[in-house]
Amino acid sequence: MSAPAVKPIRDALYEQPGPKTRKRINIATAIAAVLVLICIGLIVRQFYVMGQLDAKYWELFTRWTTWRFLLTGFLGTLKSAAVAGLLALAGGLVLMWGRFSKIPPVRWVARAITEFFRGVPSLLFVYFFFIVMPTIGVKMDSFWMITLPAAMSAAGACAEVFRAGVNAVPAGQVEAAKSLGMSKTKTMLLIQLPQAIKFVVPTLISQLVIVVKDTTLAYVVSYADLLQNGRVLIANYDALVSVYLVVAVIYILLNYLINKASVAIANRNGVKLIDVSKVSA
Amino acid sequence: MRFVELLSTYGDMYVQAALATWWMTAVSFIGAMVLGLAVTIMRVCPIAPLRVVGDFYVQVFRNIPGISMLILVAYALPYLGLVLDWVVCVLVSAILICSAFASENFMSGINTVGIGQIEAARSLGLTFGQMMRLVIIPQAVRSVVPPMTNLLIATMLTTAIASQVPVAPPELTGVVSYINTRMPYGVLAFIIPAATYLCTSLLIGYVGNKLDQRVRILR
Repeated sequence: MSAPAVKPIRDALYEQPGPKTRKRINIATAIAAVLVLICIGLIVRQFYVMGQLDAKYWELFTRWTTWRFLLTGFLGTLKSAAVAGLLALAGGLVLMWGRFSKIPPVRWVARAITEFFRGVPSLLFVYFFFIVMPTIGVKMDSFWMITLPAAMSAAGACAEVFRAGVNAVPAGQVEAAKSLGMSKTKTMLLIQLPQAIKFVVPTLISQLVIVVKDTTLAYVVSYADLLQNGRVLIANYDALVSVYLVVAVIYILLNYLINKASVAIANRNGVKLIDVSKVSA
Repeated sequence: MRFVELLSTYGDMYVQAALATWWMTAVSFIGAMVLGLAVTIMRVCPIAPLRVVGDFYVQVFRNIPGISMLILVAYALPYLGLVLDWVVCVLVSAILICSAFASENFMSGINTVGIGQIEAARSLGLTFGQMMRLVIIPQAVRSVVPPMTNLLIATMLTTAIASQVPVAPPELTGVVSYINTRMPYGVLAFIIPAATYLCTSLLIGYVGNKLDQRVRILR
């Protein structure tokens, strides 16, 4: 809908600069470039001065074993995120369905669960499975202790995304279905959901970023994800700064790509991303 | 019965924890708004290097997981000669992450104004400053109320990372592990912080919604 206007707006703020302004902008650009370079230089210098650029901290990244170990962790992250994502999709659909139910108590319960999943930090859910469940005699695998909380948080968000998508289907469609004598369930299944999917796919993909971020809480339950394996590397090589930096960069790249994909699909479908944000943690 | 016992033993602690979460949320959110505004100004200014830095900043901090960020600030920065207080580490992490999202919200706020209005303002002979002050900022600010409400809730949820470093007093998430390592209250110990988070979220959402209804521009 508003997709094409996104790029040029910050350029549209300015008039075509005249010769004087152009000169001023050029000077400011030069000064800013120098300042930015100086800042980068200072950071690198600080690394150097503190000995963090020493070969012993970085040469482990020239070894295949290091990368293989990180890759194992990365796959652990992907596995947890994928399962959590699927569970969240299913949970989100159920919760959304509940909110459109004819029976008021079903609507209330669905609403309460959605709000609960969205309003409580994932970390608290992790603690629930990690600390609270064992005290009442439920033991689970560390995989589920990280995947379930991530799925719960995301399910709340997915429910809201689906709801926004269903609401975005024009009212005439539902009225037409009713006048054809379709039941509420049939209308939802055959008319509203299929059209809603188009609206929500990009947003659902962007929610994956939050799932990936939530899986880093595996740090708490010692499930072998990327961050946890990074920690093991640190214990072996005593190279904290370099390993945590590399791990952070991998997460940033992964999430960056997910965001890129979601925006690309949104632009292709001509739909907007829906903001139901829950940042992280 | 056990609930009463839990409250009488740890009631104070829950109050302290709620206060800790609230003030950390408030400070982080204000910091994130200020920093996010600064980054947004960099991103819309005509000076290319600042734009690049602003865009890069947002991509880095909106995509980094909170725990990863906190670990870098709390455990890696000391190796680079910068030792911060535990609470400051949490605040810095939360502010960096949330400011990136704040800047994204501001940008989309500016985007809602539309090129036509900018062209109209210019053809009326408004200067850049006048255009910003009279046309763009009032509309942009009004349209960012709902996303900023969501961001405030998200900021609160982000402060839960404080449970990963020894912050005293512990905030609402940290208090769960604190109490459960001493007394096995099970689900009870978890319910109070969860309810506090939930009520705060709902309250923020309610106030944000009311505010939005007052200032929203119907298009």
